[in-house]
Amino acid sequence: MSAPPSSTPSGFGARLPAWLRPRDVELPGLGTMRLVETTVLVLVGLLLAIATINDVVLQTHVNHRLVADLRTWRQYTGHDYKNLSVEQDLRGHTTRDVICGNTSPGPPKERTQLCLAMTGPVVAGRREARSGWYLPPKSEDLHGKRYGCFGVAKDEGLCSP
Amino acid sequence: MSVAAQSVASAPRVRSGRWAPALAGALALLLVAAAAEIVLDGAAGHSALIPKSPAIAGWLSGVGERLGYRVFLIALLVSVGAYTGLLALARRRELSLISKRSAIALVGALHLIVFVGPILLSTDVFSYIAYARMGVEHGLNPYLHGPSSILGDPVYSYVGKDWKHVATAYGPFYTLLSYPLAPLGLTGALWGMKLEALLASVGTLALTWRCARARELDPVWAILAVGANPLYVIYGLGGAHNDLIMLVAMMGAVSLTLVTPGSHGREAGAASLIVAGALVKATVAALLPFMIVSRRRLAPILGALAMLALGAVIGYAAFGIHGIDVVSALNRDAAFVSTDSFAAEIAHLFGKPGVFPIDHDLLKAGLVLIVLHLLWRTWRGYDWIAAAGWSLLAISVTSTWLLAWYILWPLPLAVVCRDRRLLIATLAVQGLFVAHQITPLLVPVS
Repeated sequence: MSAPPSSTPSGFGARLPAWLRPRDVELPGLGTMRLVETTVLVLVGLLLAIATINDVVLQTHVNHRLVADLRTWRQYTGHDYKNLSVEQDLRGHTTRDVICGNTSPGPPKERTQLCLAMTGPVVAGRREARSGWYLPPKSEDLHGKRYGCFGVAKDEGLCSP
Repeated sequence: MSVAAQSVASAPRVRSGRWAPALAGALALLLVAAAAEIVLDGAAGHSALIPKSPAIAGWLSGVGERLGYRVFLIALLVSVGAYTGLLALARRRELSLISKRSAIALVGALHLIVFVGPILLSTDVFSYIAYARMGVEHGLNPYLHGPSSILGDPVYSYVGKDWKHVATAYGPFYTLLSYPLAPLGLTGALWGMKLEALLASVGTLALTWRCARARELDPVWAILAVGANPLYVIYGLGGAHNDLIMLVAMMGAVSLTLVTPGSHGREAGAASLIVAGALVKATVAALLPFMIVSRRRLAPILGALAMLALGAVIGYAAFGIHGIDVVSALNRDAAFVSTDSFAAEIAHLFGKPGVFPIDHDLLKAGLVLIVLHLLWRTWRGYDWIAAAGWSLLAISVTSTWLLAWYILWPLPLAVVCRDRRLLIATLAVQGLFVAHQITPLLVPVS
């Protein structure tokens, strides 16, 4: 059984059979449907909330790591520079980060840059810098621009020949 | 109930009635102060949160300090808290806490503060200007080329790096609307874009007011819910996003169906307005099937077809076949993934590094199921405005490319629809988006 439409349509609407006519009020009998919808909404909301919190926690760990990376670079070079560039391994999804900064005072990337590749866990607020390379001024960290590789980077051929 | 019992029950209300106006005033001041802090600090420049831009807010630059993540996030969280509190207070109509005049003054102040400041949090407006300048100043089709084709143009260096090679994904009506701004120069065009966004926002709020009154809802509460929303003000208006132009078309259509229900002419006009909005930004087309299923008349179908034909002719004449090929632009953009998307967050939750092609397919299938369910409910008489709002919310939640201004789409519909769950869900999703931003506050990287 279907409830009659609440409005009284004219023209095209009036020529439609009752069950096809537009309604201003929803047909009765959907109490359970509303309950099911609300339950699904709450569950989806919970999933989104958990995923959001999980992501914030993950990002917090990444930030802890980056703070350690920056501290390591500054300690290694003895320069307390603010504008260091950080590159994460977004493609390989490893925790290897590359931090680059000027070797002498100047605007970002305007001097010869020293890049250090950080790996391993954070220990006492720092990470291990087992390899690195240099970049000429005004250069991005591209394979063809690197020179003076040292540590593992030299063995892996990360510098241009 | 006895007189004594009545007086006991009304005592807390009387007490809350005393402090509530002061609290509402304080919350409104907090909203204004937080917006002013972001704008004034943003005007100082040199911030990762403020896109590189011509100095349009230079006269404000001496007041604030460089906007850092910490200050920005604190201001955003304060705004969210004040907004939530204000909505809760304004909901208590018996207190008549917030007059029409105060609500308009608050929303107006927020709009003015953001309008006079720098572009906030997004480089999109420079893409809009680049596409306009490509067409007007360089004779290039923005549907075929990205801004990289105008390397020598002053706007090029301000376009976001992800968009330098990407042709426009916006509709031909929006592109043509932006064309008159191109000859004004970069700064002139930027102010033009900001003015367009401001006027669109004012129009959206006026229409939201009208719709709320037509539905016998509190219009003051409705414009506060939309116009004082922190994401709407800071991200939407602050970035001068063209989503606001889409929203004004959307609310214009809703208003036409609500104010004189049953009028064939108005229903045709409403449907044509939705299509016009979709020729600005395609997303609003999601409203059309719900309106048609709800009205079950020829008028909206004919109105939509007429505007579609007009749009196709104009788009084709101005930009060729690429100007009306909305589907390929949407498919291209649907493949993008942003770190703020819920899809990416859920992938991380299940230990995956990111979203894979199969996930895109699953999300699309989920969206189709949701829309079909909503169409079925609408057929049975469920409020089509609520159904359209749910579909817009579902589009933003299932999108792998989620940006703050996308979760504004359902908001004006949520405040005028008959299903309060939509507003709760929309604000909850916005809350989760804000929560996802807070990492730099917990562990600052410097």
